[in-house]
Amino acid sequence: MSSKETAPATFAGNPRPIVGPVLDRARELGIRQVLDADGALAGDLPDPDLPRETLLKMYRTMLTVSAIDARGWKLQRSGRIDFWIPSRGQEGSHTASTMAMEPSDWIFMASREPGTMLARGATLLQLFAQFFGRAEEPLKGRRLPLLLGDRSLNIVPCMTIVGSYIPHAAGAAWAAKIKGDDTRFIVYFGDGATSRGEFHSAMNFAGIHKPPIVFLCQNNGWAVSTPNDRQTASETFAEKGNAYGVRNLRVDGNDPLAVYSVTRQARDEARELGPTLIETVTYRLGPHTSSDNPDLYRRSEEAEAWRHWDPIPRFRKYLERRGVWTAEDGQQFLAALELQMDQAVHTAEAMRQTAPAEMFDDVFEQPTRLLQEQRALMLADLAGEA
Amino acid sequence: MAQMTVLEALNAAMAHELERDPDVVLLGEDVGTEGGIFRTTEGLQLRFGSHRVIDTPLDEKGIAAHAVGMALYGLKPIVEIQFSGFIHDAFEQIMFCASKYRWATGGMYTVPMVVRAPSFGGIRGGFWHSQSPEPYYIHGGGIKVIVPSTARDAYGMMLAAVRDPDPVLILEPVPLYRSLRGEVEDNGIALELGQAEVVREGRDLTLLTWGPLRHDCLGVAQALHSERGWDIEVIDLRSLVPYDEDTLLASVRKTGRLVIVHEAPMSGGFGAELAAMVQQKAFGYLHCPIERVAPPDLPYGYAGADQFYRPNERRIRAGIARTMEFQV
Repeated sequence: MSSKETAPATFAGNPRPIVGPVLDRARELGIRQVLDADGALAGDLPDPDLPRETLLKMYRTMLTVSAIDARGWKLQRSGRIDFWIPSRGQEGSHTASTMAMEPSDWIFMASREPGTMLARGATLLQLFAQFFGRAEEPLKGRRLPLLLGDRSLNIVPCMTIVGSYIPHAAGAAWAAKIKGDDTRFIVYFGDGATSRGEFHSAMNFAGIHKPPIVFLCQNNGWAVSTPNDRQTASETFAEKGNAYGVRNLRVDGNDPLAVYSVTRQARDEARELGPTLIETVTYRLGPHTSSDNPDLYRRSEEAEAWRHWDPIPRFRKYLERRGVWTAEDGQQFLAALELQMDQAVHTAEAMRQTAPAEMFDDVFEQPTRLLQEQRALMLADLAGEA
Repeated sequence: MAQMTVLEALNAAMAHELERDPDVVLLGEDVGTEGGIFRTTEGLQLRFGSHRVIDTPLDEKGIAAHAVGMALYGLKPIVEIQFSGFIHDAFEQIMFCASKYRWATGGMYTVPMVVRAPSFGGIRGGFWHSQSPEPYYIHGGGIKVIVPSTARDAYGMMLAAVRDPDPVLILEPVPLYRSLRGEVEDNGIALELGQAEVVREGRDLTLLTWGPLRHDCLGVAQALHSERGWDIEVIDLRSLVPYDEDTLLASVRKTGRLVIVHEAPMSGGFGAELAAMVQQKAFGYLHCPIERVAPPDLPYGYAGADQFYRPNERRIRAGIARTMEFQV
């Protein structure tokens, strides 16, 4: 792996024609936008005209996601954490859709949404403690880095099998409807997940029973090495909703204002009109995970072309035009953020790891006698007493 | 006390829980207007409404997965799978989602749901209608697996399953649904899970089983007592996860001989696990090897398979005789 990564970034796989960013044809393809690539108001959707504080929170969260991604790579490449799931390029899609939901709404996570945690109030320390797999974070060190969640924030961590949890979100939304609660739901998944049976189960049931949920498909172009046109012959992922009677639309996933607008509307209408499938058209600028080498399957020129639509500079230009952000704000924020991350990494790394006995917790509410016996035996063996 | 079939006992238990707890819902294919293909849920939709007794699309994976979500949010879903031969589509949902949420979320989220799977052979149903899938579900943790085989157990164990804080798979004895009756008091009292039942006491050999074969085993034990004077103790394990080690070990320490009878194929069946445990914890008490009577590692056939694939009286007798007459 390491030799590949130090080699120059040349394309090693079967030649595929470079597909330019789908967003270049957004208008023609009916992909909803507020902003053009330069952050000007040139899309078909009106500016949601969000309050200054909301805009600042959104942008700062996106910047923080990007900075965490850079830091996570360093920690992984230096062997201090085991694994990394990058989110570079997708900061707007998940951060804005999360902020469009109310804090009491439930979120079902995929694996590239650290901004979801941050927007709900999770601290840097909580996130880095999770990346280091420490015992005192909510998931007790049981999950790979970035498989995040926290019940106190109404964020359900994903079941790692891609797409397996989509109907869990739909079932929970259905339960809220049965109980007469006003809770709304959003579930994140990727383009690859739409090939899984559970996606179709969720769409099918949701078309019938109309749970109050937003199905948010983050189409980042690639499912590991599989491009959209090898995943489906459908023109879009959104239109799969048509087969099930689930209303659907495509939105520019690198336009946080557009993502916010359509998610908010889908959320607000969910109780009356039921589910919406939203395809956010975005792009994974980095590899699938720290165990992936995209040079094997895509040309670096493709990712370069997508940088034209990078959500961070694009949103920044909008904010600068509106006068809520300056270059100086950016420098100050990032400098302070680096210090906060230093502190979070330092503290998290020093936290304790899960003890062997603790892995027996939470299998059942009460451990069975068999588990108690296995725990005692393992601890005795580890202590050298047997 | 009323006489009920196993089917009526299950229905009474589910009705009791739907009545007692507004968060209990029931979902599956044809469970509503039809009352289930076996009529186990007959009358429940009329009584509790179509929002609580829910007819679903034909999609076992989807049914289980939506029930997981319902349970996460605070409902107590009871899922009906029409036959356990169709449950495999839902395996990932049951074994890698429902039964792992508590652990994988550090205890933050739990999935208290019940999966009902009509199981076992003896109904001339062929492979996909005669299965005993328990071995798949005892492996890997996080779900309880129970097997009632009398009307009384069906009632009490269904109540326990619905009230359990963790997922429970209940393998229901299809061949006994209507053929077996028993005294059941509809009193809302749950049976504690994890308790075996000593069906017949004996001194010479422990005959351990679960599922409908409990009744076959009892018949063989009674016959062999009068025919050959062998005093056989019959134990119905009833609950596989968790299981009642104490009752089993006490019996083997008394008899020194163990024959395990089950309907799932031999290799990797739960009998292998129990045999391993007994040889480790009661090694010095055993007079002879532990015998297993189970189907060969084959699919359950159709024509005639109920008479020879599934352990029958003759094969149970043979296993007992091999054990009683064992010589080094």
